[in-house]
Amino acid sequence: MALKRVTIDPITRLEGHGKIEIFLNEDGNVENAYFQVPELRGFEKFCQGRPAEEMPRITPRICGVCPEAHHMASTKALDQMYGVEPPRAAQKLRELFYCAHMIHSHIAHFYALAAPDFVVGPSADPKVRNILGLVEKVGVETGQEVIKHRAYAQRIQAMIGGKATHPVCGLPGGLSKALKEEEREEVEKMARSCVSFARKSLKIFNEVVLEKKEYVDLVRSDFYAVSTYYMGMVDEQDRVNFYDGDVKVVDPQGKEVARFRGLDYLEHIGERVEPWTYLKVPFLKKIGWKGFVDGPGSGVYRVAPLARLNVASGMATPLAQQEYERFFEVLGGKPVHATLANHWARLVELLYAAERVLELSRDEEITDPKIRNLPTKKPVEGVGIVEAPRGTLFHHYRADVDGMIQSVNLIVATGNNHAAICMSIKKAAQGLIRNGEVDDGLLNMIEMAFRAYDPCLGCATHSLPGQMPMEVKIYDHRGEKLRCLKR
Amino acid sequence: MKIEKKPSVAVYKLSSCAGCQLELLNLEPYLLDILEVLDIRYFPMAKREAGSGPYDLGLVEGAVTSGEEIIRLKKARADCRLLVAFGSCACYGGLPSMKNWVAERLVEERVYPNLAAVHSIKAYGIDEYVKVDAYLKGCPVSRDELVDFIKGVLLGTKPYLRPHSVCVECKLHENLCLFVTEGQPCMGPVTTAGCGALCPSHGRVCEGCRGPANDANPESLVETFEEYGLTRADITRRFRKYAGMTPEFERGAVSS
Repeated sequence: MALKRVTIDPITRLEGHGKIEIFLNEDGNVENAYFQVPELRGFEKFCQGRPAEEMPRITPRICGVCPEAHHMASTKALDQMYGVEPPRAAQKLRELFYCAHMIHSHIAHFYALAAPDFVVGPSADPKVRNILGLVEKVGVETGQEVIKHRAYAQRIQAMIGGKATHPVCGLPGGLSKALKEEEREEVEKMARSCVSFARKSLKIFNEVVLEKKEYVDLVRSDFYAVSTYYMGMVDEQDRVNFYDGDVKVVDPQGKEVARFRGLDYLEHIGERVEPWTYLKVPFLKKIGWKGFVDGPGSGVYRVAPLARLNVASGMATPLAQQEYERFFEVLGGKPVHATLANHWARLVELLYAAERVLELSRDEEITDPKIRNLPTKKPVEGVGIVEAPRGTLFHHYRADVDGMIQSVNLIVATGNNHAAICMSIKKAAQGLIRNGEVDDGLLNMIEMAFRAYDPCLGCATHSLPGQMPMEVKIYDHRGEKLRCLKR
Repeated sequence: MKIEKKPSVAVYKLSSCAGCQLELLNLEPYLLDILEVLDIRYFPMAKREAGSGPYDLGLVEGAVTSGEEIIRLKKARADCRLLVAFGSCACYGGLPSMKNWVAERLVEERVYPNLAAVHSIKAYGIDEYVKVDAYLKGCPVSRDELVDFIKGVLLGTKPYLRPHSVCVECKLHENLCLFVTEGQPCMGPVTTAGCGALCPSHGRVCEGCRGPANDANPESLVETFEEYGLTRADITRRFRKYAGMTPEFERGAVSS
């Protein structure tokens, strides 16, 4: 039998365009697997020569899925460029806005993209393995709840940001508009509802996944695990924070190996260019690049919900803290290497984000009209880091003497996960494909390894991607395509 | 309302951020109603299986920036009875058109290591290549206009798309003018309304994402910009952000 090549292209139910290629050896078992992003249209170039203060309104257009993350990273980069600290109310309001984005994004990913695999079944007919099939299983009522709370999160973002998609509120030194008392009351009401919805989501996860042994086994199975370093942002008490704090890195045993802020990211993260993809491959500089391998000797690290839970000592809100403890209890202690545990971690974060919005909406300072400190210096250089729903996001800008953008470097969440995604796909493919036998259900189970990261390829290439989804191709060793699943 | 036959819909994506097609999913209060009345056949971002054409309605998101996209666009035109430029990128190039005034080679060199494989072209709206039946402007499209438009398709009526400038809506909101009171240079006077003067209502000037209003007078706005001390380069940059490929904004970009 000849060496085969399997490509998954387009991959559906993800944000962006990418493809998976799987190479089979002569026995029909998996030799190698790659996750490729075949497009790039360079946002860094558009931004050159634009005034620095325009960046928070340009960069959200990198991606319509997580524009708020780019807006906030960009705004924070401007704070540093102009050397201005926002007033406390502005910082709290930014965090509230940002946590609402997390609620919105995590609900969308879990219910529309991830849950169909578990609720409807990993190898069910693709015709029903989608959000509509999901609604059929969990009931229209839950479907309406999903829609309602996603809309609440959008509403909160639009109140502060002008609109949820491509917000406009961020300015160096603060925000453009304060929160009115009647708006605050509305936010509080919606946040309360989001907290109970998040608890309900965890309950659904519990019933659908955790109470079924086959799924728990699947989540914990060796072919869905890679043992890497983890990166995520923590507050001063070492708890998960999405908006601000130190970036912390732990090793595959969970021991802290680095903690940094702002410009220091350059000392810790290296970026590799691979000839077969337009997406760069970041790695931990101090550990070094050893290829697409896991373990303590390799600089491959992971970001996103599971990584954030792995690096932090806990959650900053009470209900999420309970769920955090349960998470590690069930999955056998920190750190958890099971890629599919990202889905559960995402729901723990959903609860935290909802609780945090509620907390902030009750904060006395939140309606303070003083939401801006005017910058008085010229912009020079700045780094803005936030935890995007899909992981740590870095925006780094340098301006010329006129305050025009001279250079831009973006390291996005999916970029950080690039190496780990390749490894996860390979491992899943090796565990699942035997003797060249490949069917649609099997390929979906390989895609699940990929989907757990919630990859956003629009962001990854800083591009304006063309076609959305992805494909799987199978090739033999002579380069002949044996099979192509294009959806 | 009783729908005899649900209109079939296809959602296409060219070079874009996907923000406009996500606005379809973000129509939360109406989402389930819309799924009742439209047969969404082709929407790769949201569902995996694709129903075949022809379709009654095609929503095209994104600017055209490669030859491959021209081919897909022409196929979409052939497959759809009504073809809609869905959002600013599809209407006139949108934000990606910022690159159009830099030599293409320089843009390519900046991002691609191997230029032999690159065939990018300037970012155009889709009507550069095919006939377009309707334009939904905005970055992203306005949800109100989108709902209005869907109603129009169902009832066979013409949706109300605003011809006037953002200033009209801004005044209706009783906003203080950022331009006059704070001296912040605003594109509102020449930009199509329909967004509800969203940015000025949040304390930010209009960036012109919805392109030129009917009877826009860019030359006059240029004079005012100059009075407020903007340099020629500042003014050009403002007009060449989203809709620099339209004749009206190009007049603003070069007039002096």
